Amino acid sequence: MTSDAFSNRHPAVNFLFFLGAIGFAVLIQHPAYLIAGALGAAAYYLLLSGRKGWKRIGMLVPMFLLLTAVNPLFNTYGERVLFHVFGRPYTLEALLYGGAIAGVFVVMMLWFGCYNAVMTSDKFTSLFGNLIPALSLLLVMVLRMIPGFIRKAGQITLARRAIGLGAGEKNRDKIRHGMGVLSALTDWALEGSVVTGDSMRARGYGSGRRTSFQIYTMKRGDWCLLAVLMFLAAAVIAVSAMGATAAEFTPVLSIAPVSGIYALGFAAYCAYLLIPSVLHLKEELQWRRSRSKI
Amino acid sequence: MKKSHIATLIVFLAVIPATLVLGSRLPGRAYYVTSTLVIVELLIPFFLAFEGRRPQARELVLLAVMCALAVAGRVAIPVPGFKAIFAVIMIAGIAFGPESGFLVGAVSALASNFFYSQGPYTPWQMMAYGAGGMLAGFLFAKNLLPRKPVVMGLFGFLAVAFFVGPLLDTCSVFLVLSKISLKGAMAFYVSGFAVNVNQAIATAAVLLLLGKPLLEKLDRVKTKYGILAVEEGSGHP
Repeated sequence: MTSDAFSNRHPAVNFLFFLGAIGFAVLIQHPAYLIAGALGAAAYYLLLSGRKGWKRIGMLVPMFLLLTAVNPLFNTYGERVLFHVFGRPYTLEALLYGGAIAGVFVVMMLWFGCYNAVMTSDKFTSLFGNLIPALSLLLVMVLRMIPGFIRKAGQITLARRAIGLGAGEKNRDKIRHGMGVLSALTDWALEGSVVTGDSMRARGYGSGRRTSFQIYTMKRGDWCLLAVLMFLAAAVIAVSAMGATAAEFTPVLSIAPVSGIYALGFAAYCAYLLIPSVLHLKEELQWRRSRSKI
Repeated sequence: MKKSHIATLIVFLAVIPATLVLGSRLPGRAYYVTSTLVIVELLIPFFLAFEGRRPQARELVLLAVMCALAVAGRVAIPVPGFKAIFAVIMIAGIAFGPESGFLVGAVSALASNFFYSQGPYTPWQMMAYGAGGMLAGFLFAKNLLPRKPVVMGLFGFLAVAFFVGPLLDTCSVFLVLSKISLKGAMAFYVSGFAVNVNQAIATAAVLLLLGKPLLEKLDRVKTKYGILAVEEGSGHP
């Protein structure tokens, strides 16, 4: 649950930004774009999660190395053979390709980390509520019930312990005890569900088209931000169609240079990725400045 | 023809082939994007069918309860690595039929990821969990298999170890292999097998011990409050 300058924008803007950022990250394997993506995503992730963010980034590094090293085992194309593994060539090109794939994975995980902080469930359901009314109502109910069920499971566990049915230390005991808890929880939840369902019907569920409460409206700033995002994304797509993001690793290494008009596309990509971080920092700066004036 | 049937036909005859053709034309390595788009497109007909059915309030709440139970099961049984989610989804499928089984599976996966973390695997999980619930529904709700604890346990083990688990491993294959080959994919299936078997054992254990009592509870609610009697009539009584 983070609230910053970017996540306070309309959910549609947030969602489309992540769709673009993750989409580009998956589809473009050009090393320059990957590095820009990794830096952009990591910057925003760190701004959102602070010191805790380093832990996740630290966890991604061994993942990156492992995926990079593993890929050449299954892809033996390439000219420059480094050494042989089980009689199969382990090539430099395949290693670099593995690095690119692992890079895509890392960038994606970082963006998803930001997505989880920004796109909370209420934003998600408000965005899709009108498109899929029954299903999003189902999702809202589930999301509301889960914390309640978890609390109830805790109460049942305590009650069982009080009458001498508590779980021991062994996993076997815990599993058997847990099944008892789950069973009791089911009973309680099912009875409750009937009451909820009847109450919903009594208050008119299903008697007409369901409208949903909208707390978010697209303001002028949101439209402007959306326009900027669309423009930058269009620029990236345009130069990409011209071949700016082409990167072949195997059998022969061939990577498009980042120069001339291609550099413009790359600049657009960087600008796109930095938007949330810039908004975040701008607000922080403003806050600091106005506070120091007091 | 119902609207949702037409949508299903469009998805299968036009949208998915178009995605596959487009995906094969994209430069570089578009396996993950293409396959995930196809997975999302496969989910659409199920969701549209549910929307088109205009579910009654009681049915909606009952499904929500099953989803929430599936997710909360992880907390009720506090043993690391012991997941009851597949078993609860399958019980929902057995009790309410394949369509509800699929829905409970897909929504449980999505909802659980709101509490843990959404990721590139979310659509795949929705598909795999849903397919597990649907399979249970097909085999047990239509009485192809008897609802005996041993049969359900065995089914749960086989379904998770050889169907749901490998489906999730397929996501990793598309996600991290630079060149899709049978050998590379096999490496993932083999290395994922230990985890899958672990979860399969958990699923089998829950179904074996809890399957029958939970189904009885669901049946009891059905008769006690006449839920199915209401659902069978169309619209409001």
